Order: sequence, then structure tokens, then C-alpha cells
Amino acid sequence: MPLNFHRTPRAILFAAAAFMVVWLLIAGFPFVWTLWGSFKVEGDFFSYQGWIDAVAGRNTLAQTGHLVTLGAYRGVWIEEQFWKAALHTSIVTIAVVMVSLSFGSLGAYALARSGHRYAYWILVAALVFRAIPGIALISGYLLPFFRLNVWGYPPTAALVLVALNQPFTLWLLHSFFLTIPRDLDESALVDGCTRFQAFRLVIMPVMWPGVVTTGIFSFLTAYSDFVVCSMLLSDRNQTMVPRIVAFLGTTQETGRPMYAVAAVVSVTLPLFVLIPFFQKRIVNGLAGAVKG
Amino acid sequence: MADARLVNLGKRFGKTDVVKALNLDIRDGEFIVLLGPSGCGKTTTMRIVAGLEETTSGQIWLNGRVVNDLEPKDRDIAMVFQNYGLYPNLTVYENIRFPLRMRKIPAGEHRRRVLAALEMVELTDFADRRPAQLSGGQRQRVALARAIVRTPAVCLMDEPLSNLDAKLRLSTRVQLKHLHHAHRSTTIYVTHDQTEAMTLADRVVVMNRGLIQQVATPRVIYGTPANAFVAGFIGSPAMNLIHGRIGQGVFEASGIRISGLAHAGAHEVILGFRAEDASVIEHHCGLSAPVYSMELLGDHSMITFRIGDAFVAVKAAKDHQAEIGEIVHIAVPAGACHLFHPITGDRISP
Repeated sequence: MPLNFHRTPRAILFAAAAFMVVWLLIAGFPFVWTLWGSFKVEGDFFSYQGWIDAVAGRNTLAQTGHLVTLGAYRGVWIEEQFWKAALHTSIVTIAVVMVSLSFGSLGAYALARSGHRYAYWILVAALVFRAIPGIALISGYLLPFFRLNVWGYPPTAALVLVALNQPFTLWLLHSFFLTIPRDLDESALVDGCTRFQAFRLVIMPVMWPGVVTTGIFSFLTAYSDFVVCSMLLSDRNQTMVPRIVAFLGTTQETGRPMYAVAAVVSVTLPLFVLIPFFQKRIVNGLAGAVKG
Repeated sequence: MADARLVNLGKRFGKTDVVKALNLDIRDGEFIVLLGPSGCGKTTTMRIVAGLEETTSGQIWLNGRVVNDLEPKDRDIAMVFQNYGLYPNLTVYENIRFPLRMRKIPAGEHRRRVLAALEMVELTDFADRRPAQLSGGQRQRVALARAIVRTPAVCLMDEPLSNLDAKLRLSTRVQLKHLHHAHRSTTIYVTHDQTEAMTLADRVVVMNRGLIQQVATPRVIYGTPANAFVAGFIGSPAMNLIHGRIGQGVFEASGIRISGLAHAGAHEVILGFRAEDASVIEHHCGLSAPVYSMELLGDHSMITFRIGDAFVAVKAAKDHQAEIGEIVHIAVPAGACHLFHPITGDRISP
């Protein structure tokens, strides 16, 4: 719906624009600051003298001969083999998205089209499980996983993430399925489809904006998960986010904070690329589908 | 094309019987309209025939076999939905072709049959559009083409015109009638609009509260309604119904007296007559009442009176002049009167 700007007083327009700029600065600052700092050495970004070092890069110049350095990235990706963590994150993330979407859409479709009362109670039960904090369930998983000898592997973490995330996936997909008129299913049934064919050939093609949206949420859950992955994966199979925490060190051992900074930037940047891309697809999809 | 039989059909949702022991024989090529107020079970009945709803009791026969346990896809039916039910991601052409594809009809035939169906609904130029790019009337015609492309045994239509505006409804109705005449497919059509029922149907099935009230041609339904419900539901305006008492051929109620009725008994009764059978006259002749409202309807005017609790409509000439509140004399010929039982509502033969 285009706003009619001609009727809006200039003063309000100006105030709105000013607010936007200020808000962008405040919201964007931490990201820009981290990105900027990731090209400095530890002496600058974590300077005891003050924040001016991080801006001017005095120590970076002294230590490397340049104002910016890729030292931290080199250290993280090559020395510390962060690419392995990235690989594990990809495995976990892709597995979580695939499994939760395929099971989620089957389940949510069934619940959305079921005329039975228990469909409602299943959804409510799902909500209750969603409300339980993940960490509360993890401790219960640990012993069985040790016994079954599946602890420490990416598929195990993916499985648990799917389980924790599925209630949300189910709810989201369920509400998307409800927006698709039943007439469509029934047309398909009358036109010669089985239930599953109706789902696959008629409903899913108009459902993909909902699938993409849900997929993004599943992706983000898996991608940025700390609790499940840090508890269920061995050091060898660790994903990116728990690794970042490891770089920061503990009370026992000195960390490499600049590695953590570079890793944070490495983890964040793909999101800035991926999310706008998917967002566009959602908007495009919603404009054309379902109506009619 | 085929005949259809519904035997003792019953449907119960929870504690309500939506359809009660319904029996209906539909002949090959017949256009049957299920008509009734909302909640009368007409849509449920049709959905049972389609297989989208299961029966609680009774049998559905299509083309000489019981289809109760068959999936909708195996019943050889087609259906037009109120909200069209078109596939938004497919073009008009692909929408119409979809049933052919699903029923494994040889691909070589698809093009010819889709184009024939498109031509029949006059949408040949719209084959490559998507449903979202069509008007409501065009979408409904696409749905129609999709239903007839396969020559199904029975074609089902669930209030297909109710989402269209009045003008479009009229023209689509005419097309529908023409199409059925050309195609002669057995059709079950559900509507709450009696004009649609009267104009389209070979036979009308009037339903109320899950029960069939009358099955007959539109002419019979209009001319000799089987009970007071049908009389009060059919016609625009519906038949005037007045509670009163009959004795020795004379009907009496507050403010009205009609004599010369060929009925011997003496008891409570509902008297009915149609607006066009009564006329406004100069002198008192059994019925005089003040004008309640007066409407000019183009080729005639409709004068409404209040007699007791009932509103009574009488048709008058288009140039008839009457003021609201003015006392007007009305003649109701005894031959045009219908009598119904005051409790059961059943027709009492005069």
C-alpha cells in the first residue's frame, strides 16, 4: 500500500528520516565496530589505552607494517582449521532444515486438514514442548547417547535440534496451510489425485513461501545454536558458534580473542547475504500464490 | 454420463442429523438442483456424492454401482466449487488439463480436449493466463471447463454462481443452461437461490433441515407446492401464507374472508395464494387492509399489507397509485388458493 507522502507535513517526514538514521547508527554500530576491529591486532581492538587505538590502529601498524591485517582470519581459518567447524555447521544446518521441513510439512498438512479434535491437542502439546528450555532436555539425552555410542556426531546434534525445533516448525507451517483454501485439496481429489498427490502436486507448489519462511527459521535455529551443539558434539566435530566461545578462552587457559572476533565476522557475514536473498523470495512468492 | 441413486442417505455431525434418510433417483443427463436455506443439508448431500464426506448410513449408486467406499478420484465425477478451487500456480490451460493428466488420458488427446472445453466456455484467448489475472466470472468458467473436459459420469456444482455479482450471475446462468443443453451431462447443482433453481433445473429438490420437502419440475414446485415450507420458500415474493379457519368452503382470519373454496371440512388451516393471483379492486370483497409498503419493480408494483401477523404481497399494475396507510380492497380468487395443514404444513387437497 503506497503511502501518500504529499499529505504528510515536512516536519514529520524530517523527524522520521532523522529517527531512521539515528536508529540505523545505533543498531548497526556493533556490527560495523566488530567488522572494523577484526582487521586489527589484539593490542588495538582490546587496547588498555582506550578505544582510540582501535580506530587509529597504532599497534597494528607497529606489528604488521600495515593499517589493516588479515592475521586474525588467517589464524582462525588456517591455523585453527575453522573451516572444519564451518563444514560441521553446514552438515547440521542442512540436515535440520531438510528433516524439519519434510516431516514438518507432512505433519502440519495433516493437522491443518484433520477434522478431528485431537489435532488441536497435538498442536497444544507441541507448544508445551516448545516452552521447555532446550537445556532441560539435553541433560536427559546425554546418557542414552553415550550408551548408544552416538554422542559427539553432527547427525545426533541435528536430530536433537530438529526435535526441539519441530513444534515451532509445525505451528508455523500449520498456519500457512490453513491459509490455503480447502477447495484446492478437494478440487485435486475430485480431479483424480490421491491425498498424497494432492499434497505434492497441488498444495506444495502454492505452499513454498511458507516453506521458505519456515526453512529460514529452522536454518537460523540450527546455524546459531550454542547449547545443543556444545553439549552434544565432541571437540573434533564442533560447529562454529561453540568454537567462537572456545576462542575466548577460559579461566584456566588464555584465549585468542582476536580469533573470536574474526570468527564472529565469518559467522555473521553469510547471514547478511542469505537472509535478504530469501526474504525477496518470500515476498515474491506471497504476491503470486494462494489468491484465486 | 450416468444415472445416480441415493438410497436412505444419512449424515450425522456430532449430535445433529444433517441429512436424514434421503432417497433420490437421478436420471441420465438430468439437471438436478438441490435447493434450500443454509444448513438444510444440500451441500453435505452433494459432498457425500463427491466422496468428500463419508455417509453415516445409506448408499450412493453411480452408474449402477455402489460407490460408498470409493475415493473421490475413483467415482468418475467432476465438481465446480463455490470458490472456484483453481490451481493458482498453473495457467488456465494447465488447470483444465489437470484432470486429464491425473486420469492418465493419452497425452495426444489433451490439447484437443482442453481447447474444445475452452471454446465451450468462450475463454480460448485466455489459455495462457493465470487464475489471478482473470475476473470472477472468467474463473468460474475455467472451473466449469475443468469439470466438463473429461466428460465425467456426474458433474457436481456447489453454489457456483454465488460469488459473482448480480449481472454476471445472470449471464453465467444463461451460459450454464446452454452448456448443459449441449453437453447433457448428469448434473447435481446446489444453491440457495430459487431463481437459479427454477431456471436451470429439470427437477428441483427442495430441502429443509436434512429432509427432502419436494422433488418435482420447477413448474410443479411453483404451481403445486407440497407443503407450506415449499410454498413459503419458492417464488419472489414467496407465497402469502395466512393462518385461519375454514368451514363450509369459507376461510376466515382476522380481517380476511375468502369464500367459495372447494373444501368440505371445518378446522384450522393455512391458506396460501401468490401475489400475482390476487388483484386490487374498487370495492370490498372479502379482504381490505391498509397499505404497509409499496414498491415499484419495473413492469409491475408490489403492494404489501399486514394481515394479523403475516405480510401479504399483492401484485398490481406498474402505474398503480396507493399511499401508505390507505385502505385498499383486494380480491383473492378461490381457485388460486392453496390449503396447508396448520401443524404439519402438508398440502390439503381442496
